[in-house]
Amino acid sequence: MLRVRDLVVGYGAIQAVRGIDLDIEQGEIVALIGSNGAGKTTVARAIAGLLSYSGEILFEDVRLKPNAAERNLRLGIALVPEGRGILGTMTVQENLLMGLYTRNDKAQAKLDLAVIHQRFPILAQRGHLLASLMSGGEQQLLAIGRALLSKPKLLLLDEPSLGLSPRMTDTVFAMIEDLRRDGLTVLLVEQKARQTLQIADRAYLLETGCVITTGPAKGLIDDPVVSETFLGSRTAAVHR
Amino acid sequence: MPGAGPGVPKTRSNATPTSPISFWDAFVLIQQLVNGLTLGAVYTLIALSFSLVMGVLGVLNLAIAELFMLGGYFGFAILLARLPLPVALVAGMAGAALVAAIVERIGYQPFRGAPVVTPMLSTLGFSIILQNVATNVWGSDPLQLSDEVLSGRFNIGPASISAIQLVVLSVTVLLVASLAFLVQQTSIGRALRAVAENRDVARLLGVPAGRITLIAFMLSGSLAGAAGVLIGVHYAAITPYIGVEVGLKAIAVMVIGGTTRIWGSLIAGPLIGIVEVMTVAYVGSQIRDFVVYGLMILILLLRPQGLLGSGRGDQSQRV
Ligand SMILES: Nc1ncnc2c1ncn2[C@@H]1O[C@H](COP(=O)(O)OP(=O)(O)OP(=O)(O)O)[C@@H](O)[C@H]1O
Ligand SMILES: [Mg+2]
Repeated sequence: MLRVRDLVVGYGAIQAVRGIDLDIEQGEIVALIGSNGAGKTTVARAIAGLLSYSGEILFEDVRLKPNAAERNLRLGIALVPEGRGILGTMTVQENLLMGLYTRNDKAQAKLDLAVIHQRFPILAQRGHLLASLMSGGEQQLLAIGRALLSKPKLLLLDEPSLGLSPRMTDTVFAMIEDLRRDGLTVLLVEQKARQTLQIADRAYLLETGCVITTGPAKGLIDDPVVSETFLGSRTAAVHR
Repeated sequence: MPGAGPGVPKTRSNATPTSPISFWDAFVLIQQLVNGLTLGAVYTLIALSFSLVMGVLGVLNLAIAELFMLGGYFGFAILLARLPLPVALVAGMAGAALVAAIVERIGYQPFRGAPVVTPMLSTLGFSIILQNVATNVWGSDPLQLSDEVLSGRFNIGPASISAIQLVVLSVTVLLVASLAFLVQQTSIGRALRAVAENRDVARLLGVPAGRITLIAFMLSGSLAGAAGVLIGVHYAAITPYIGVEVGLKAIAVMVIGGTTRIWGSLIAGPLIGIVEVMTVAYVGSQIRDFVVYGLMILILLLRPQGLLGSGRGDQSQRV
């Protein structure tokens, strides 16, 4: 479904991603793990079309253009960015309506909104609340619900567990599995390696902008390279 | 109309400080309030025009003062062709919106990502060029409307309001209400607010941020254009310098209302209009600008977030 070839992304003089290849097949959950500053967010933002890059990204055999987020969304790629990307000056309901921005099928869109309200009752109850006043977990649900309303084929999630309680993290991860069961393809960017590898099909381990290991997720759980990466970054992770 | 305070009669109250408030004093006061509100309405429109672009892009579009002036000339062209006032209003708005689009494409778009002072300087350049164009096309002498567009006065208690003032006030209320509806209730308005709050997130939701920016400039231009037509018919005259005299004052209004709170202008506009008219009536027109811009500096010093700003800058709705 998605083919990334020799992706290079830099911020000025800094090269954050140094030529990576990555594939995602229809219906998969693919994990992108790595320690702080490895370049995970940069990869996700490049795929979503927020950055310029060199290399090639194909989505369903269509060549994506760098820095063309609006087009990518219409093609079926949605990103829930790191930190959730909630529009805090708008109400919960207005955030959800923003998720419908590109939808032309108004009648169906209305039904989809009702489905999201059913799936996340809190979003219906707090519809008129300013989104910035929702709790972190509620905001994550809002961000995911909003992204789903654009009817993506590929959902990119950048650290959805960031700042969530273990229990809320479990809820979100269970939800990701549900979404896949409904036919969605997911790229899951995460720091919580063990938990992520348990729900993913395949995984890529990123370090300083390069893929250092890839393979079936279950096989990577006990991989020494993976353990070392995350043991080594434990002190860094504490500061988040 | 240098010298003559826009909309402000040069008469001054003859009452001595010790005499009791007479009927005449009250009459003058109420009359001045009406005049102040009219001027304030125009300030409100231009201040909204400034803060629409400021809110979405964080950029002060200095060309707005001249869009206001041009809107007035476009309206006059229609009126001099003996077409009715609503047509003149639409022409002033559409013409100014079109020029605003040119300013956006040439004076803002290429400098996106540059430090904010860069597009500000380029819009300053535009401002001077537009004034120059107006001087060459229409001359530097005031262009007069030969006969009144609307005549008649309506009495309200002891004071009276002219038909033109009534038009200025009601068109302003109508435009502000339409803008509020557009920004708060429509899909375009939500997209505008989304870009204002977080451009990347808006793009991730499929909002064409570039086009929304252009729309913000054009909306802003049409408000300034409407204000130009209104003030032009109010004075039955217009000069190429009205943008500097009146348009720039709206920046003070925006600052006093709070640059991060667009609706602050709804309070600050009438307030400054009234303060200005009262200053001219009771103190003298020579210190008019001193009072208005002094108030702006005072607000910047004491309450930089403006009268309505909350201080938690980023939490408040910008557009
Ligand atoms: N806007 C930017 N400007 C300059 N450098 C940046 C920018 N964003 C990221 N970087 C740098 O690029 C590198 C990769 O950052 P990135 O955010 O992709 O890492 P990450 O894997 O998502 O990290 P984390 O787990 O902390 O979110 C880092 O060294 C970072 O400092
Ligand atoms: Mg990251």
